[in-house]
Amino acid sequence: MSKQISRRDFLKLATAGAATTAVLTGCGPTSRFVDREPYLKMPEYTYNGMSTYYATTCRECAAACGLVVRTMQGRAIKVEGNANHPVNLGKTCARGQATLQGLYNPDRVENPVKQARGAQLSQETLDWNAAIQIVSDALQNTDPSEIAFLMGMAPDHLFDLVSDLANAIGAPAPVRFGALGMFEARATLSKAAENLFGKVSMPFFDLENADVVVSFGANFLETWLSPVAFTRGFAKMRRGNPERRGYFVQFEPRMSQTASKADEWIPLRPGTESLVALALGRLIAEARGGAVPAAFASIDPLTVASDAGLKLETLERLAQTLVNAHHPLVIPGGAALGQGNGLAAAESVLALNALLGNFGLPGGVFVSPLAPAQDAYHRPASAKEMADFIAKMKSGGVKVLFIHGVNPVFEMPKQFGFAEALASVPQVISFATFPDETALAADYILPDHHGLESWGYQRAVVSAKPVLSGAQPVVTPYFNTRATADVFLAAAALAGGKFAAALPFADEVAFIQSKLAGLVGEEGFFAAPEINSFTAYFQQYGGWWTNDPSLATPSAASAIAKRFTPAAAEFTGEGEFFFLPFVSPTLGEAGANKPWLQELADPTTTVMWNTWVEMNPETAHELGIENDDVVQIVSEAGGVEAPVYLYPAIRPDVIAMPFGQGHTAYGRFAAGRGVNPADVLGVHFNEAGDLAFAGMKVEVKKTGKKKILSRLESRIGVYGEGLEKE
Amino acid sequence: MTVDLNKLHAVGAIAEAAEGKWGMVIDMDLCTGCQACVAACAMENNIPYVEEEDAGYGRSMHWIRTERFWEGEYPEVKISGYQPMLCQQCGKAPCEPVCPAFATVHSQAEQLNLQVYNRCVGTRYCANNCPYQVRSFNWRDYQDSRVRPEITILANQFNPDVTVRRRGVMEKCTFCIQRIHKAQDKAKSEGREVEDGEFTTACAQACPANAITFGRIDHPESLVSQLARSPRAEHHLEELGTLPRVTYLKEG
Repeated sequence: MSKQISRRDFLKLATAGAATTAVLTGCGPTSRFVDREPYLKMPEYTYNGMSTYYATTCRECAAACGLVVRTMQGRAIKVEGNANHPVNLGKTCARGQATLQGLYNPDRVENPVKQARGAQLSQETLDWNAAIQIVSDALQNTDPSEIAFLMGMAPDHLFDLVSDLANAIGAPAPVRFGALGMFEARATLSKAAENLFGKVSMPFFDLENADVVVSFGANFLETWLSPVAFTRGFAKMRRGNPERRGYFVQFEPRMSQTASKADEWIPLRPGTESLVALALGRLIAEARGGAVPAAFASIDPLTVASDAGLKLETLERLAQTLVNAHHPLVIPGGAALGQGNGLAAAESVLALNALLGNFGLPGGVFVSPLAPAQDAYHRPASAKEMADFIAKMKSGGVKVLFIHGVNPVFEMPKQFGFAEALASVPQVISFATFPDETALAADYILPDHHGLESWGYQRAVVSAKPVLSGAQPVVTPYFNTRATADVFLAAAALAGGKFAAALPFADEVAFIQSKLAGLVGEEGFFAAPEINSFTAYFQQYGGWWTNDPSLATPSAASAIAKRFTPAAAEFTGEGEFFFLPFVSPTLGEAGANKPWLQELADPTTTVMWNTWVEMNPETAHELGIENDDVVQIVSEAGGVEAPVYLYPAIRPDVIAMPFGQGHTAYGRFAAGRGVNPADVLGVHFNEAGDLAFAGMKVEVKKTGKKKILSRLESRIGVYGEGLEKE
Repeated sequence: MTVDLNKLHAVGAIAEAAEGKWGMVIDMDLCTGCQACVAACAMENNIPYVEEEDAGYGRSMHWIRTERFWEGEYPEVKISGYQPMLCQQCGKAPCEPVCPAFATVHSQAEQLNLQVYNRCVGTRYCANNCPYQVRSFNWRDYQDSRVRPEITILANQFNPDVTVRRRGVMEKCTFCIQRIHKAQDKAKSEGREVEDGEFTTACAQACPANAITFGRIDHPESLVSQLARSPRAEHHLEELGTLPRVTYLKEG
């Protein structure tokens, strides 16, 4: 069969069933796409002036929102939400909207190249056959124990494929990592759930049915876990019930975008979150009368209030609000867990929920179900596990490193030494779509398609229903790229033996079908009697999910009985200020290469296109610092320089910086812009092995320089800057 | 169908023109300031980015922006509601009478403010007169690949239903008029009226909090009309008599 078969024909044939085997085995990957053709020769279903819509999955973060992409004459025009998809119900965030600027971006890796660890993207292009030979040789000629796979956060089909390969040849299991997971201390949350619920899992917070929500640092309206789903939950919590308006309180040293929507923002001293949660528990137990459970017995609310810099009345009033609430919910997350005592903070908050008795009730805490076709919850690597991985690289234990979907040279703090560790790996093969910092440090870049050009599936991490989100190409690949799954399949076939036996699939779609086969006949959003119709529906609807939620109820008994040894977090460093890095709500971890994300105003500061340092106006006044003065933030790990934004809603002893800028590569819109706050972070972990990214103290030094930040708000601003002073 | 638009605080021009169809309600209690509407609008309407320096001069071209105002001082400080600000499609628009080229005119059919790009000569008088500051001016040829080579590839994403504007032209939110027209054409070909909820604007479609509702303000039972009757409803700068067609719902 020639490569003339179009993607439409493929789908029709796939649906027809009988001809499918021939289609799947008979043609190469490129024949699965619609080709852009002259207007006179229109592909089927493509008419001038008419749009075609394809359902797929957003790859901008690991939340797995469903998209419907409007295409016209082979071009992707607009991203819209998939209204049926349980994760986002037809909605998208700004990063999802801008995904098209990643697809049609002037700085993508256009061909496979021999990068040879150069400073710039290499011009020495390779033939794909040569590229596959390189991967095949690397697989065959290396001791399997010395092969390593480093992947992005998303639990997707490629992760499954690589896991199967690694498992079959005896290589270590692939490691998944991302800055979002690091800055929300995801491993800490699941470790706390494991300790208290007795099972490795991700807790599920039923925000939409709660009526009083107290959050300890969870920035769920910005980037936390699944922001579109949580924003919908927040809206329903606020206004979903005409009888009442949901009440929302946020404990956080700095008013984040999420905290700015709270009815009460309570700026507690960093590191005291666990104490405050336990004190609230004690006050609640006392207010209800009866015995105080073990978890809260050893805490003294008055001491806690003074340690946290709060008034006891505030805590008492809040405890009473929680006692009176019908559906109270307390959420731990973000910087509250990214501290030396982060695990205790997460556990205290779960115990507080147990005391409130909301486990398994509407508006309460549940255990997330496993996604379809999933054996167990695989969380991304913690920073500690990454440190172990880096140590193995440095000691020469990794001979071949395959990297896909993650940019650790940028995302990890410099102190981890990932860039230096790469030098100890003889062969580094990157599958990056963009020439990011890690890809440039590789020997070869074998670019994967953009997400909108790719097949696949991805599991939703946070969802009441088990969701397997489906992805399909909405356009033909724009550049000479190739699906990484196809590269591995071809390389394994070329290598023969155990490699070919591990991956006996003609191409990526055949592999995906093999994983979907178990769902055939299952009751769900659609049901199909055999695999080919199942696959066709899977693409048409953008995935498969069950009709009903299958949340599990954790046991509250062990959570309440846990005995805590309450203590405020220890901070490292000599400086005067607590340092609070947070992921930019508009850029996320990897949005800096898209010009419209750069142009979006940060919600709270309205700054565009740069990095800033947030400082309380009073503190700045004492130090003689004004808006746009460049300061140096110095820690034990190093220093960065950025202009100050006088932020009215931050504790005087805290300074904050957004993460997302400071690239040295990654395309023209990202490179050389702003600074990376990860550069000042030291290597300190909490008990769950997550990075204590908010557990440092830093110094602020004046530089005498000025850099005018571009803001959407008036330069006159809130402090009358530029106005005549009387 | 007719409706007593006086109930929607409308008098004069809007009340007389009952065929005025489209209205929007924005719930500031739900808006989280997340910028999804801004990005969606930019992608739908081929809005250029202006880069850091021009953005610093206040030349950024957001047709919709989320305003936020600080209230009080630490620790009693708060953001008094995110307020998405876009063209209010005024019934009596201050921008219209000042245009010497008749480039910004009132549509009789839809009761919207139109901006006719090929009439605009760039006096910027309209922007000067707009009390909501929602008009943006093309200071450069931002979408011309001779000026910006990267547009060659970014332009693949351009919406073919929306004109690309050149230097010297004023632009603003159109209530996604290309979507209105598409829905009207479809309804006409099927011999019926456009139904409420049949389509929506790009911003309302994206909004994860469902804070933006767009629809037929002339149908009293449409969702947008019901929300506009909420006791929380208010119009911005109502005292100027601009008769805005966008209603905001206060917090609390």
